[in-house]
Amino acid sequence: MIRVLPPEVVNQIAAGEVVERPFSVVKELVENSLDAGATRVTVELRDGGRESIRISDDGGGFTPADLELAFVSHATSKLGSLADLDHIASLGFRGEALASIGSIARVTIRSRRADADEGFEITCEGGAIGPVRPCGCPPGTVIEVRDVFFNTPARRRFLRTARAERARIEDLLARLALARLDVDFTLVADDREVLRLPAGESLADRVGRAFGSALVEHLVEVEVRWDEYAARGLVGTPDAARRDATLSLLYVNGRFTKDRSTAMAVRQAYREFLMPGQQPVYFLELSLPPDEVDVNVHPTKSEVRFLQGRRACGILHEAVTSGLRQASAAPKRGGGAIAASPDKPRAQAGFPELPRDLFGAGGAQSLDPLPKSGAKLVDSSGPSAVRDAALAAQGGASTPSAAEPAAGHVAETGFDDGPFGGLQERRFLQVLDCYLVFETDDGMVVVDQHALHERVLYERFSKRHAARGAVPVQNLLVPEVLELAPSDKAWLLDQQEVLADEGLRIEDFGGRSIAIHGVPALLGRIAPRVLIETLLRADGEDEARPRAREIVAERFHSMACRAAIMSGDRLRETEIRELLAEARELDHPHNCPHGRPTVLTFSQEELERFFRRRVP
Amino acid sequence: MKILCDRQQLQEAFTVVGGIPPLKTPKPVIQSVLMDATADGVTLYATDLEISAKVPVDAVKVAEPGRTLLPARETSALLRELSDPTLTLSGQEGRTTIDAGTGSFVLVSNDPSQFPAEPEFKQGVEVEVPVREFLDMIRRTSFAAAREETRYAINGLLLELKDGGARLIGTDGRRLALCYTEHGGDAQNSRVVIPIRALQALSKAVSDESSEPLRISISSNQIRFALDGTELISQLLDNRFPEYEQVIPKAADSTIEIEREHLEKNLRRVAILSSGEVRMVRFKFEGSEVKLSAESSGIGRADLSMGIELNGPGGSISFNPDFLLDALKVSDRELVRIDMTDDSTPAKFTLGDSYTYILMPISGS
Repeated sequence: MIRVLPPEVVNQIAAGEVVERPFSVVKELVENSLDAGATRVTVELRDGGRESIRISDDGGGFTPADLELAFVSHATSKLGSLADLDHIASLGFRGEALASIGSIARVTIRSRRADADEGFEITCEGGAIGPVRPCGCPPGTVIEVRDVFFNTPARRRFLRTARAERARIEDLLARLALARLDVDFTLVADDREVLRLPAGESLADRVGRAFGSALVEHLVEVEVRWDEYAARGLVGTPDAARRDATLSLLYVNGRFTKDRSTAMAVRQAYREFLMPGQQPVYFLELSLPPDEVDVNVHPTKSEVRFLQGRRACGILHEAVTSGLRQASAAPKRGGGAIAASPDKPRAQAGFPELPRDLFGAGGAQSLDPLPKSGAKLVDSSGPSAVRDAALAAQGGASTPSAAEPAAGHVAETGFDDGPFGGLQERRFLQVLDCYLVFETDDGMVVVDQHALHERVLYERFSKRHAARGAVPVQNLLVPEVLELAPSDKAWLLDQQEVLADEGLRIEDFGGRSIAIHGVPALLGRIAPRVLIETLLRADGEDEARPRAREIVAERFHSMACRAAIMSGDRLRETEIRELLAEARELDHPHNCPHGRPTVLTFSQEELERFFRRRVP
Repeated sequence: MKILCDRQQLQEAFTVVGGIPPLKTPKPVIQSVLMDATADGVTLYATDLEISAKVPVDAVKVAEPGRTLLPARETSALLRELSDPTLTLSGQEGRTTIDAGTGSFVLVSNDPSQFPAEPEFKQGVEVEVPVREFLDMIRRTSFAAAREETRYAINGLLLELKDGGARLIGTDGRRLALCYTEHGGDAQNSRVVIPIRALQALSKAVSDESSEPLRISISSNQIRFALDGTELISQLLDNRFPEYEQVIPKAADSTIEIEREHLEKNLRRVAILSSGEVRMVRFKFEGSEVKLSAESSGIGRADLSMGIELNGPGGSISFNPDFLLDALKVSDRELVRIDMTDDSTPAKFTLGDSYTYILMPISGS
């Protein structure tokens, strides 16, 4: 017998989509609070939210009439008609949350509008909605959710430990809070305050409070504006990279999202700075007109679609690139990171961090903003013409579409000769035919000459590439026919023109095959098949291959420079001096094209700490 | 086994087979050379399981027939360093002693019965070619063969027997070298791909001064070369080889005659300034001269012109100078003929009466 399910059951089923665990309850309700204009949101948990979740805010509050409808499915005050879907500026809008939560828990809402004399309350237990009754309460709304999943034991069994649920909620709150610096957030777990994020603090401060102040040392502020599009936030330097992507956070119009294409654009900008397996850290917000983005793709609202995906990706890419450029250009000073994280065990850090003060006045906790060593290094650096050249190179490297703010920001940061300023006049010790050790005014610097050499060659190739006209093509006497997977073939043929610009001429050869007619003369010695395989090599998240031109250029360059370097070559002193001179003009001096560091700095302070001359 | 032999003769025989044993192998026994002494004389035999060679040793006296294994590397080094005119070699179980006037050397030997037997060669097509010409053909084509892993004939040359002629062809997809000679023997046509290593070993094994013709036998999966008692057998490669005839341009807009030696020297000069990452020399054929030019960013440029005889409109075309020099230096012709059309179609170089070289230009510059 077929019958229409009663509404409670429908809600319970729908709840499965929206409410998976206490985490989802908090997410929905805090988003509601923010949409109601709250300036203060407090979340209190008992037993990780399994016993109860209480969310109080000072937002607009419910009228008694609103309260009556609160637990009715698809009842929302945020959306009136289909046309409104195009202009969603609020976090929640589907009108599912409260109905879903009400169907799987015991919920009480107490709410008072700021202009009302008294408040009202309503309860809902497992979908059974009670009457609206007057009650005494402060302005705003308090929602208490007890016994989550009490009527769906199957789901209840899948809840994790209180600690795990709490950690997820803490993470969530921090994530939501980053988008709303004007709101005061508090998380209390079993009567203990776990997180307190006061309103009005800077993004950097909030990140520091939520994720640890040591992290802030490795973040750069960025802002790029393209007409109605803007990307701003904090970009982590390669030193901040992590094993997981939990701190790769992207917000679109104030909403946290896990959109793949934009995340890919950001990763692409990080590409040559990270080692395989590393994930970048960033806190970026993309703002664009609400009608150019579709957020109604998925119930948890973490996926979005863009009208101009390329533009969205482009501006994020530009923001990250400008941040990484700043980080490379920023003067390096000893001490900062150590002082900020005095108890960080060295052994765990893998390799010593590169202490940096990235913000200037931007909120980083630099204890010693201009130590004498930094100034000295700048003084001993070469003639100003070199620096001007570096500056010009920086300017030239930013794309013409980069708008004023980004360029201005970079200029303000100021330049010196980066980590290699002044090194080339100094004496050094060559260790293991690979490392160069220099004494500086404030300690010592160790350079990996091969990593540096690769970086220098890579930038040389890239610059020449940017300045070039047509790429010389070595035509093939006999076209090489390759059989490929259909998806690979389709991608290559889509990129036919891009590839041709880079000197690789391919044509459809029918079936699963393509024919290679010409290869870049620069890579004439490499078998055509190997070129194609290199292009197709998917590194994990690369399947979508969003920016073919860059992938092609970058992979070809790195092949070219690898071909030019004989690893283990012993460099003569004059060659090393030349390398160091060239290194001062690098756009990205800190890493080789594969993400390995080129230089490590050990300040006097660090050395003293190593030898226990200084007590932490 | 016990023999008395002339050191120099033994050394020469050893160089023929000494290059064949592999340096690294999971089967160490083949790192030795098998010496077989019978009443008829002494032969050396070596194999890497793909290529095997057998060579007779001259000027020996067999005191006691038998077989022994000589470690290839050490034995050839010893023969090179010793200066005594005669040597006595005796093999007992597990070792071989080389007695020279200066001293004696005992080499540990594997059991000869463990050594792989000579491959059985099934008779097939049989032809004879002049040895000197064939060695020239190898020299003029092998450099053009693909060294890296491309789809076509890795490290192999195509030998084509057709209508009484033998063609040897090498290509790496960017250039193609073709040599031709007439042969005596079977009229049967055949088309096989031979590993370059085998042809290189052959070049070392046979003397181009021999008055005898080189005998080539081809079976379904092997090829055998024989001359003056020396015999080399190689597996054939089963690679696909491109239809080379389609690649050779049938007609061209312009025909140029140019002095080879002069061109080679000038090309070397100009190529010095194409030493950047893209090796490229531009040829501009116009009137009665060709302008050669090259440029290396950040290093400099070279311009040079030389006289030519041009039929047709001429034009510009660029080549990788190394590709052209490879062929020019193995040509013995005074005048080279170039047939070209434009910078995207192959140019044909006639570098000898029976030596043709096809080179694909570099375009987009």
